Formats: sequence, C-alpha cells, structure tokens
Amino acid sequence: MAILRAHPARRGRWRPWLFALPALGVYVVFLVYPAVSSLWFSFTDWDGLSPAYNIVGLDNYARMFSDPVVLTAARNNLIWSLVTIVFPVTIGLALAMVLNGKVRGKPVLRLIFYAPGVLPLVSIASIWGWLYNPQYGAINSFLSLVGLDDLAQPWLGQDSTALWAVMVPAVWLRTGFPMLLYLAALQGIPSELYEAARVDGASRWHQFWHVTMPGLRSAHYIVLALSLIDSFKVFDMVYAMTYGGPGTATQVMGTWMYANVFQYYQAGYGTAIAVVITVVAIAVGIPYVLSQTRERAA
Amino acid sequence: MTSVVSAPKTTAVAPAEPAQPAKGKGGLGLTIVVTVVALFWISPLALLLVTAIRPLSDFVGNGPLSWPSAFTWQNFADAWDIGNFATTYGNSALLLILKVPLGVLISAMLGFALAKLRMKFRRTVMFSVFLGLTIPIYIAIVPVFIMMRTAGATDSVIGLIGPYLAFGIPFEVLVLQSFFRQLPNEIFEAARVDGAGDWRIFWRIVLPLSAPALVTVTILDAVATWNEFLFALILLNSDANKTLPVGLLNFQGQFSSNNTGLAAGILIAVVPILIAYTLLQRWIVGGLTAGATKG
Repeated sequence: MAILRAHPARRGRWRPWLFALPALGVYVVFLVYPAVSSLWFSFTDWDGLSPAYNIVGLDNYARMFSDPVVLTAARNNLIWSLVTIVFPVTIGLALAMVLNGKVRGKPVLRLIFYAPGVLPLVSIASIWGWLYNPQYGAINSFLSLVGLDDLAQPWLGQDSTALWAVMVPAVWLRTGFPMLLYLAALQGIPSELYEAARVDGASRWHQFWHVTMPGLRSAHYIVLALSLIDSFKVFDMVYAMTYGGPGTATQVMGTWMYANVFQYYQAGYGTAIAVVITVVAIAVGIPYVLSQTRERAA
Repeated sequence: MTSVVSAPKTTAVAPAEPAQPAKGKGGLGLTIVVTVVALFWISPLALLLVTAIRPLSDFVGNGPLSWPSAFTWQNFADAWDIGNFATTYGNSALLLILKVPLGVLISAMLGFALAKLRMKFRRTVMFSVFLGLTIPIYIAIVPVFIMMRTAGATDSVIGLIGPYLAFGIPFEVLVLQSFFRQLPNEIFEAARVDGAGDWRIFWRIVLPLSAPALVTVTILDAVATWNEFLFALILLNSDANKTLPVGLLNFQGQFSSNNTGLAAGILIAVVPILIAYTLLQRWIVGGLTAGATKG
C-alpha cells in the first residue's frame, strides 16, 4: 500500500499519525489508560473482586501514614536505592578504569562482569537463595572452611540480615551496566588532555579528578538517572527471594502493593501504594525524560 | 529491565585506543588482580555448574565446596521433567516470536513519524511516550488484570502481548527515533522527487539503513521480554501457560530440599540466555552504551 504523492509537503498533515497510531494506540490502551484507572481505584475501597465499591476519597493515602509496613517499605526502598546505586556505580567505575588500561583478556572480562545483567531476575534470586541456604549453602560453607563458623547465619531468614542479603545479588547484577557505560565514555576522552595534564605535572590522582571525572559527566548522569528510576521499581528480586519476609523485614513498596492487591484483597489500598511509587519514579525521571526529548543539533 | 539509554550511535563499543595514558608496564599485576575479581564474580555460576553434575549424596556428604567425587547427568533429566521446562521454554519462545518483531515494527513506525515526518504535537508525543520509561509496571497491573479478565485473556500467553508491547515501546521509540534522525534528509528528498510516498520510504530506505539500530533494539527487547516476571506472574496461572521466569519460581519451591536438582534446573533456565548473550554481546553492549558518548 505505497502512498505515492507527487507533492508531499503540501497537504496531508494527518499522514504522520498513520505511522504513529499503532504504537500510540497500544501505549494508550495498555499503559496510559491502566495508569489513569489505577489512580481512580486508589480513591475507592474496592477489594479487587466484587463488582461494588465505594469512593473513599483520600482515605487510602491517609492510611499509609499509619501503616507500619509502609514505613518499613519506604525505608527499605530508600536503602535499596542508595546501596544499589553507590556500589554498582563505584565498582563499575573502578572496573572500567582498570579495563581501559593495559590489561589482557579485556573482552572476556567485560563479558564476565556484565553476564549477570542479562539473566532473569528470578533466576538470580534462585541462584542466591541457593547460595544462602543455611545448611547446604555455599556461603556458610565457605565461612566454616576459612574458620569463621561463628559468622554463619540464616542470611535470608532473620530480620537483621535479610535486606542486605537480598541487595547483594542486586549489586552483582547491576555492576556491569555502569562499567560498560564508563568504558565507552572513557574511550571518548581525548588523550591529549592527559598529555597536557602530565606536562603540567599533574599526578595521577589529579588527572583522575580534573580530566577523567569531568570527561565522564554525561555517563554519570545517565547511570545515576537510570539507576534511580530503576531502583524504585524493585519487585522481582525481593518477591522471588523472600516474599517480603521474614515478617515484613524485606518489604518494599512494590511487594507490599502486590500483597495488598492479591493476598489481602485490598485493591484500592494497593493501587494507592502503586500511585505513590509511580509519582516518585516520575518525579525522579522527569529530568532524564526532558533531556531525551530536547532537540539536539542534527 | 535496566537497559535504557538513548542512542544515536548504535555501533558496538569498539575496543578502541585507550584514552588513558599508556603506562608502558605494570599491566600484568592489574591483569592478575582483575582476573581474580572476575573469577570471584562468576563463582556463583561456576559453583552451580559443579553442583549440577554431581549426585545429591555426594553433595550432601562432602559439602557444597568440595570437588565432586562422582559425576551424573541425572539431575538435569529430573529437573527438566519436574520443572516443566519443555512447556515454559515453548511459551517464552512463542511470546518472543510474536511480541518482539511486532513491537519493533510499530515502534519504528512511530519513531519514523517523530524523526522525519512533520507531525503535529511532536514534542508532546515524544515526552508522553518517553515518560513511560519511568512508569513502574505496578501502576498498571490491577486495571490490566481486570481488562484481561473481562476479555477472557487471562492465563494465556497471547494475552501478555498487549501489556508487553506497551511497556517496551518507550525504550524502542527512544532509540530508534534518535537513530532515524541522523539519516540525511537528502535521501528522503531524492526519494520523494522520484515519487516515493512515506510508506515506501519507510520500508525501502529507513528500515534498511537502520539495520544496526533495529538489531540492537530487537535484542534488548528480546532480553526484556524473556525475563519479564510481574505481568506473567499475575496473568498466568495454569502450569501449561507459564513462562520461564514464573515456571522457575515454582520449580524453586518444589526442589528446595534437592540442592543438586535445583542447581541443574537453574542452569537449564539460564544457560541458553548466557550463550545467546555471549554470541550477541556486541549488539547488547553497543545498545546499552551508545548513549554515553552523546554530548
């Protein structure tokens, strides 16, 4: 169905919409519309099953302030963001610096460090749940092998360690991404800058702070923006490893939302939690989205 | 899904000249250190492999960190049968084949409209679509669940396609439109003079010239589709319809006391994607990092 036109730019301003429509239609039906109706449900006391529900205004939102699990979840989300940004970014940067230097076997090393990043989160959760097994897990076995039996723990089974134990695999899987971005960015820094710095007698440390770090600015920005957006979405790993437990020790907003909707049949309250996460995620992501929307010089 | 960077350049990160001043010597020490770290990094996967090929009795008797004293393939056979992997692989593959090409095609069409056609409200559309990158799936699951139930499409792999398409579109459009924008306008003008319409230009010029970007987007979208968990968890309930991640979660529960069988099952789930990653990493890595070089 080739649309042949002798004089294109003149008429048919609606034509671009023919190209846009399929994707926009799907986007609106399966993302925009559901998001907006979630907002609506969050003002109701709907249980998710029965046809009837009442509008309760902001009650669901007010209830969050007195829900101790929401406080735990919000705190856990914050810790999660912090830990799964700081560690992957610093380790990733260090690895990128090393792999950008004179090291042999770079392609293989890059492959190894990024590999966890392509695995399904559920499989990563399975792997680490298996490593953390109190009796036959490799981690406790390793501790007793090196004579640190006292440190062996039921890592996922107790409040004091569970959240940290779930974050370790998250760091493991997320380090490869900043590493790759930084590697690409490092290769974009002109070597003349280093030469000039050396001529001026700058130490390696000075070179790092005054040449490397500024040269990585856009990589820092992308890594931080994407990590931040991502960390508010955490669900799979926690759900597959601990279901939010023991007790509520590892609940995050996502798992608590899920529990309310699908276990406690409080769809109204659950969607209100989802709305809050979404608002935070959007607020955090807007600068990134704007930066991508801005016109760039062609 | 992590994976989101805008990307005009979709070429792989060429292992180009290091920008870092070459130090002349000292490479060996660093190589050793980083190799040790890398071994440590893959030790969970290595341990999984060692465990999966030994009998359970050997594992229990000698401990998880011992070298296996016997060898067996039986764990894989057991895990394959009990874990229902034939079914879950089939479902995930079907989903991949149906969803990914369709998603890439409609995203490319939208990307083309945004990049090269004079579309009204262009920036508004762009902003609204890219905003989707920040939106967590949670916000949609309750209404999507209801929609699917009303349409009788719950517990069906086909029913996942709509929501998967919608949540894949923002990233695909972001990458594709910025690639399309770099295609020189002269080609389009020449094609128009020759009488080609938008649709023909799209098929005959835009898509062929954008092969690298299309490959990147296809692969990253395939990885995300293959790994998706939350929609699949909510919308699928019978074993016959589960995708690989949801099936694996079930399997994990059933095998919790059989450590070697569990290891074999996890390997069955992850090895194909590791192989695919190794083969396709040039494009995966290229797609992920391309955005970093942009100013």
